Amino acid sequence: MNIHSYEKLWLIAALLLIVGFIATITYGSVGLGIAMIDDSEDTVNPGSLDEDFGEPRVEHVGENEYEAYVIAQTFTYRPDPIEVPADSEVTFYVTSRDVIHSFSVVGTNVNTMVIPGEVSSMTVEFDDPGEYGIVCNEYCGDFHHTMEGQLHVVPEDEFDMTELSVEADDEVELGDEATFNVSVENGMLDDLETTASFEIGDETVEEEITVAGESTEETTFTVDSSDLGEGDHDWTITVDDYEESGTLTVVDELEEENDGGNNDE
Amino acid sequence: MSNAYIDQFPAEAKVVKALFYSSFVALALGGVFGIIQTLHRTDIYRFIDSANYYSVLTAHGVFMVITFTIFFLVGVFTWAVTTSLDREVEDIRFTWAWVALMSIGTVMAAVPILAGLTDSIDMSAAVLFTFYAPLQGHPLFYLGLVLFVVGTWVAGADWFRSWWAWKKENPDARIPLPTFMVLTTMIMWYIATMGVATSILVFLLPWSLGWIETVNPLLTRTLFWFFGHPVVYFWLMPAYMMWYVMLPKFSGGKLFSDPLARVGFVLFLLLSTPVGIHHQYLDPGISEGFKFIAMTNTMFLLLPSLLTAFTVVASMEHGARQRGGTGYFGWLKALPWRDPVFAGMALAGLLFAAAGFSGMVNAGMNINYLVHNSLWVVGHFHLTVGTAVALTFMAVSYWFIPQVTGKELWNRSVALVQVVLWFIGMTFMTNSMHRAGLIGMPRRTAEPQYEGFEFETAVGSVGELDAQIALGGVLLTLSLVLFFANIIGTAFGSRSDTLPDNGYAEALSGSDDAPRVLDNLKLWTAIAIVLVIFAYSLPLLSIVDRGGLFGPDIPPLPVSLESVTFLAFAVEHVATVALESAGNFAQTALSGVIN
Amino acid sequence: MRISKAGLLVALAFLAPILVELRTVLAWADIHLSVLETVFVGAIIAAGLLLWAFLPEDGDETTSDRDVSNSEL
Repeated sequence: MNIHSYEKLWLIAALLLIVGFIATITYGSVGLGIAMIDDSEDTVNPGSLDEDFGEPRVEHVGENEYEAYVIAQTFTYRPDPIEVPADSEVTFYVTSRDVIHSFSVVGTNVNTMVIPGEVSSMTVEFDDPGEYGIVCNEYCGDFHHTMEGQLHVVPEDEFDMTELSVEADDEVELGDEATFNVSVENGMLDDLETTASFEIGDETVEEEITVAGESTEETTFTVDSSDLGEGDHDWTITVDDYEESGTLTVVDELEEENDGGNNDE
Repeated sequence: MSNAYIDQFPAEAKVVKALFYSSFVALALGGVFGIIQTLHRTDIYRFIDSANYYSVLTAHGVFMVITFTIFFLVGVFTWAVTTSLDREVEDIRFTWAWVALMSIGTVMAAVPILAGLTDSIDMSAAVLFTFYAPLQGHPLFYLGLVLFVVGTWVAGADWFRSWWAWKKENPDARIPLPTFMVLTTMIMWYIATMGVATSILVFLLPWSLGWIETVNPLLTRTLFWFFGHPVVYFWLMPAYMMWYVMLPKFSGGKLFSDPLARVGFVLFLLLSTPVGIHHQYLDPGISEGFKFIAMTNTMFLLLPSLLTAFTVVASMEHGARQRGGTGYFGWLKALPWRDPVFAGMALAGLLFAAAGFSGMVNAGMNINYLVHNSLWVVGHFHLTVGTAVALTFMAVSYWFIPQVTGKELWNRSVALVQVVLWFIGMTFMTNSMHRAGLIGMPRRTAEPQYEGFEFETAVGSVGELDAQIALGGVLLTLSLVLFFANIIGTAFGSRSDTLPDNGYAEALSGSDDAPRVLDNLKLWTAIAIVLVIFAYSLPLLSIVDRGGLFGPDIPPLPVSLESVTFLAFAVEHVATVALESAGNFAQTALSGVIN
Repeated sequence: MRISKAGLLVALAFLAPILVELRTVLAWADIHLSVLETVFVGAIIAAGLLLWAFLPEDGDETTSDRDVSNSEL
């Protein structure tokens, strides 16, 4: 077979190009550490994600290291928005409850298919704060085009994983004590030192609390209703940027039928 | 008396003509759906419901890349085998049988797709060209696809029969180049379609009929791509064949090298299939190693395409110099640009070079994160199948249609304007699609306008990108109108006696120069199968091992628009979520009471 | 004419990809052209091309003889 010398040159150039491409891709994998989505995660049963995968959530797993567990389903992502701090390393674990979706953070190279039964994991570094859209780029049904989510990369000093919840009496009899059970959950690994402040009427009570990493601390504020007097009293409990508020009604005499507690709503 | 194809093979000319006309019907339908989509997703003009967009998209995809391309190429292959072996088909009834099989298959698949557009029929196949489970189309859709593919298998058998019969009479002759190309392409097709046949017959069809409860989404998806990449070469190789054996003829010269053309096609046979996983770079459940193997195979698949580029350009230059062209680039002026067949194929080749570059990006395993499933990919394949293949087919129709009808082409100037318009339309459309993809705009979306964020462009604005896509789409539609005007005009013309002779280009370096081993199809088939086993057996075993043959317990999601099952499914979801949150609330409330 | 009519048509068509890509390439050099400006630049280049094409070839009047691309196959 005789091959024209130009064609030989072209052939060699083509082979060099191909080898060059493979080399750059290999460098990207080995040198820059751009890992592919792979089979490192165990499979899950889409029908029982609660046991296999747990609640959609963000977890603090190490210094500047977070894990985001995301569930994609027609036609939403949970959690939404996903919040992580800047200058952190976030590993996303994404799975689907129903059909094939994708999890694609617009304007970045965070992009993976989400296949029911499989968990896609990828570790991403977020250097700067910003707000990103998340889109599903795999057709997943009639309303595929409405499937979007948000990823908020918040400044490091504004980021926390604190959750405040308050159990408070709605109504007390004049002369009784009203109690406010405050629980502060700290999702971070580090201890949280903060102040819980309670305001009702003109009164303000502050309490220093320390919540150990990955735990919940509870505290109780009480107030004597005779100090407040009969009527409605607005209250506010503040921990850092979180605020819970409500209204306490002080009545002359409680109606009997309310004894069972207010867990019907 | 002319010596056109219809004069040499009147019976076969009828078959080829029927195949071409069928493909043009699909092209017309696909074109209509194409412009609807273009205007819809760019939000220029929306008159369908966004939920129906996906039926339109399925129709556009299936009609264009399955019906139009494949009907056309089996016509070309029939022409190639009969012409180059210089013998009629063994049994014309057998030939008509596979034509019928393919047609019935197409109609069966088309019915549920089109029914998806009306609410009055509760039937849909809006599962797109890739039909990923657990999205579930109507059984008729899967059944139609199976019949269609079986039709192409029988067509291949027809051409092999011709070759075997010819070989008995010519035991020592080299396989003529066009027949060689047909046979290698068909072997590749037989291997490739095993994937989709298994996917449909073992899993999707029984599942859509309710015989099996679940499927493994990753498995059926992988089997689809086992077929899904080589199918693009099934479209492309007839176009390559035209560039190898026809373009030199129209340029006024000869094919540069017959042996290297054979090498190219052998490489396509070997490497087209063991690369499908490069469509799954971002799939969980497939290890990085398997993806790497698919990536290297894909990169080596560039080689035959780069060889083709050389041979095609060299053949064109040879032709131009035969016509009196001179100078380093001056010979370009001497090419027969007035001839729509030549001009169309040359322009298609030019855009295919651009498609090659975006393909190289796609093939880059880790670069794929940036472009996977974005509009970039749509831009890429509108340059490959939408231009390299479609424009070559349309251009070469201007030669083929007179050959199989015996009628002069209605208007050569309109034909020239048509191919140029396609080139310009595709330039506008694909350029903006690539750019929109780079900013993260997804493909396959009725409304790529989101509430929570906006796409940020590097140059211009999203509005400009959309306008450019729409402009391209309109020009392409206009081009299609001109194409059909010409085809219809030709069909109603009268029989001509002055048609050019049927034939294809000779080679400067002929088949005597090609090593004998190139014609050893058994050897290449064996190597191709070994490569496929090497690339696919472990990934498939691992997928089955992980997810089970029939996958986890996931209910199907039928796409029927008003389907009761879908509603039931949605209701169930809402109920589950509501129950969950109610349960959680009750729990906290209860613990509050207890404390 | 220096080039056949069909050759000119193809050359003009080839301007389309050059122009749309030029706009992107110029943006790297921080030159941002608006759509209208791009169209304007395109019109100038197209006019230049037409001018070149219609200028008679130097001292050669038998242009049509050299216009091989118009010949039939």
